[in-house]
Amino acid sequence: MAASPLRRVLLVEDDPDIRAIVCFALQSVGGLSVEVCASGSEAIAKAPRFLPQIVLLDVMMPGLDGPSTLRALRGLPQTAATPIVFMTAKVRPHEIEEYRRAGACDVILKPFEAAELPERMRGIWSRIHGEADREPT
Amino acid sequence: MRERQAELARAYAAALRGYLSGAGEAALMRAYQAGRDALTEDLGVLELATAHQQALVDVLGELPPKEHARAARSAAEFFAEALAPFEMSQRGLRGQLEEHERLERLKNEFISVVSHELRTPLTSIHGSLNLVVKGKAGELPPEARRFLEIAYRNSERVVRLVNEILDIQKLESGEIALDVRPVELAQLLADSIEANHAYAGGFDVRIALDGESPAVKVLADPDRLLQVLANLLCNAARFSPPGETVALRAVRLPGLVRVCVSDRGPGIPEEFRARIFQRFAQAAPSTPSGREGTGLGLSISKVIVERLGGRIGFESEVGRGTTFHFELPEWHEEAVPAGGTTR
Repeated sequence: MAASPLRRVLLVEDDPDIRAIVCFALQSVGGLSVEVCASGSEAIAKAPRFLPQIVLLDVMMPGLDGPSTLRALRGLPQTAATPIVFMTAKVRPHEIEEYRRAGACDVILKPFEAAELPERMRGIWSRIHGEADREPT
Repeated sequence: MRERQAELARAYAAALRGYLSGAGEAALMRAYQAGRDALTEDLGVLELATAHQQALVDVLGELPPKEHARAARSAAEFFAEALAPFEMSQRGLRGQLEEHERLERLKNEFISVVSHELRTPLTSIHGSLNLVVKGKAGELPPEARRFLEIAYRNSERVVRLVNEILDIQKLESGEIALDVRPVELAQLLADSIEANHAYAGGFDVRIALDGESPAVKVLADPDRLLQVLANLLCNAARFSPPGETVALRAVRLPGLVRVCVSDRGPGIPEEFRARIFQRFAQAAPSTPSGREGTGLGLSISKVIVERLGGRIGFESEVGRGTTFHFELPEWHEEAVPAGGTTR
């Protein structure tokens, strides 16, 4: 069954400048509905009400970092299966491998082309659903 | 013992090739480490000297006769330097090596931290400029757009620089495993033209295949070989006068394939040639404004080609143009099984 189009993104990023840029790109350029969070704990509080289709999550954050936030979101019934994309400035091959093992469905490396971000997110969304469609039932 | 000495001679020859093409301290350290490993086994300084001699004969045999005298002089300096540490006490040697390893670790940590710390502010700078220049934040007066495009182009350059600094460090340390497999060379060359023609077009330069590519396979990591070709083609395009063509050619040699990228640019000044594969080496006066590279592309290309078991070089005539070439062993089905990785 074809997936519904991507509409709701939960953005978690502690850097206010990057938060503003990503939010503008996803919302104003990409026409997506974005719930913005400045920390992992804010994301955990907002996610059950917002019900994101996908989460765009910074890795290095004070307090709860990306992988800890991912584990906490997995523990909530509303977001247990929500795809999570990491964005990170830590780009070494073993670090990226570690994020994938932690459960990230994709990793966006900083810096990125902000204007292309909505298309990248839609591409990831389609890919996830393509893969899900191919899985045996 | 004889096999171990031959292995040492091969290691010295590889290090000497690196030294002659400008790898300097890295090549010396490789030679020193190869010698130190041999000494900890059964070999003595006499065997080391014999291996030096064999390496010199092998490397000179690969060079045209007119380069023999210069190469032999450089080799004498190289071997003197590589042997010097053995004159010190074993304790001194261990201390030096430990210090070298400590500095390597510090360097790697430093590169990693700098890369990370630069990426965060760059995400804001590059991201903002990207949105504005692509017209996503509204219309701009023409003058404002012109200056923001300059800022955007230069932010792209810093992004490339940060990526390439990390890339060369990962390649040199072996952190990146190459995905080596038999690759159809003709298809790869066609792909490289396709991938880089838009960049060259920005300088009003064409990239064209010169003659038919031989139907051969080479054992390579296709993505990394495309990176080498992109570096060479983009360099050639940057240095070409508008309206010119960059020629890409492949020729078959006994057991090898040679790929050449030729431009009709200003040529490489004589005094710059020895440093051309060194990091951040750029012949500044001949680089037109707005066409600067990062100064790392050729160093990265050299590391990749050598890790694939090949060699890279160039011929240049000032005022006439430059041809960069690399050679890789031709792959035959019975020689090596398909697939696998190399560090």
